Amino acid sequence: MGYQFDFTVLQPYLPTFGRGLLVTFQLAGVCLLLGFTAGLLLALLRSSRIAPLVWPSAVFIEIFRNAPVLVQLVWFYYAFPVLIGATMSAFAAAVLALSLNTAAFSAELFRGGIQSIHRGQWEAGRALGMSNLTLMRRIILPQAIKRMIPPLTNRAIELTKMTALASTIAVPELLYQGRLINAVTFRPIESYTVVAVIYLIILWAGTILVNRLERRLGESD
Amino acid sequence: MTLSDPTNDQPPAADRAPRGASGPAARANGAPVLKLEGIHKSFGGSEVLKGIDLEVAAGETVVIIGASGSGKSTLLRCINFLELPDAGRVYLKGESVGTTVSTRRGERLVFKEQELNAMRRHVGMVFQSFNLFPHMTVVQNVMEGLVSVLRLKRDEARTRALRHLEAVGLAEKTEQYPSRLSGGQQQRVAIARALAMEPDVMLFDEATSALDPELVGEVLQVMRDLSLGGMTMVVVTHEMGFAYAAADRVIFIHQGQIHEQGTPEEILKHPKQERTKAFLRGLDHI
Repeated sequence: MGYQFDFTVLQPYLPTFGRGLLVTFQLAGVCLLLGFTAGLLLALLRSSRIAPLVWPSAVFIEIFRNAPVLVQLVWFYYAFPVLIGATMSAFAAAVLALSLNTAAFSAELFRGGIQSIHRGQWEAGRALGMSNLTLMRRIILPQAIKRMIPPLTNRAIELTKMTALASTIAVPELLYQGRLINAVTFRPIESYTVVAVIYLIILWAGTILVNRLERRLGESD
Repeated sequence: MTLSDPTNDQPPAADRAPRGASGPAARANGAPVLKLEGIHKSFGGSEVLKGIDLEVAAGETVVIIGASGSGKSTLLRCINFLELPDAGRVYLKGESVGTTVSTRRGERLVFKEQELNAMRRHVGMVFQSFNLFPHMTVVQNVMEGLVSVLRLKRDEARTRALRHLEAVGLAEKTEQYPSRLSGGQQQRVAIARALAMEPDVMLFDEATSALDPELVGEVLQVMRDLSLGGMTMVVVTHEMGFAYAAADRVIFIHQGQIHEQGTPEEILKHPKQERTKAFLRGLDHI
């Protein structure tokens, strides 16, 4: 192998990587917020005993859990705008697809977390005269979310990785920028290695942060 | 909301066992704090409660005894509607719980969440397994209902919570998490949590059954003090010593019905019914 590694040729493109990383963060952040919020709502709907609420949420969850994310992404970018008769930016399509996918997966995590809380906690809250909403907000969710931090972290890391798929519909995120840089420098090894290392660093840092948070929350155990 | 008929001729609660130290003014008030009428409850196919009538006067301590599966815990849970009775009525301070609606099949009692919650804040409950909120400190546990249900201001709630924690001997533990406490301490926190709501009646569902033997005493002592202090209490327990010492009335439940009731002396020392005798023979501690 006579390949001469030369990362210095990428130096002029550092701001480009930076812009890509920013878009990756934006996409992941928005999708995480929307996805987890919608996931929690779906979990509450599915856990309610009201059939007209349970059914649609169950169907929704199954659809988005069982279709490949790449297919969802492409569908929201090319098919959905035709259906609703409006144009949609690549970023918006990516937000929709990734948020809904995250919602479906996290809904099952939230539901599992809520169900894992002992019946006695519900009864203690009810016996005090708490409404279901107060009970959920003050007693059940704080305990459930604490238990769900490891699986939710995994979900967040998974989502951050999935944002790379948005490069296929030309969302200018990190991988997309890497491809552009490769196209002008003809340096695939260097370009894609830098992309991979950046992903590695941010996800690893994220994991460490969450582990710390988990330890702090664990003080009452 | 339906009010109970004030003219109904239930016997006054005067024929209860006399008891020395207790007896606040509320006792003179003839209306029962709690009244159950024809409570029925089935789980699946089996009928657990087969028509229970019970009146509890202000300041009275009623102890319910009976074998496992006799329905005594279910009865207690029907009082604050953790289990919804299939039939029958519960009156708290003369007011019936539930709303009567007319359907094609006749009148039916429905229980709205809001109405049940409003009622439950006047009924304290202590569970076998404590059920403290593990993510809150001791004082936060006691404050929680005061703040989120009674809407007290935080400092007011804290003052009240500390007062009740002191009363159960836990002034030192207020900033601990429940997991750091012994079972007996946890149960005393649970009692303080219920008492802080200033309920009209306290329900104890086998409050000492999950405790190590050496921790039972401290919890029974708190319950005993409470009873002497004039709290209206309905206690499900296997502690016959407590029943004998603290009860105004002992009720023996057998197969979902009140089989025999009377003073502790009558029921625990001189039971008349064979079933009661057999149950008491099966226990070796009194």
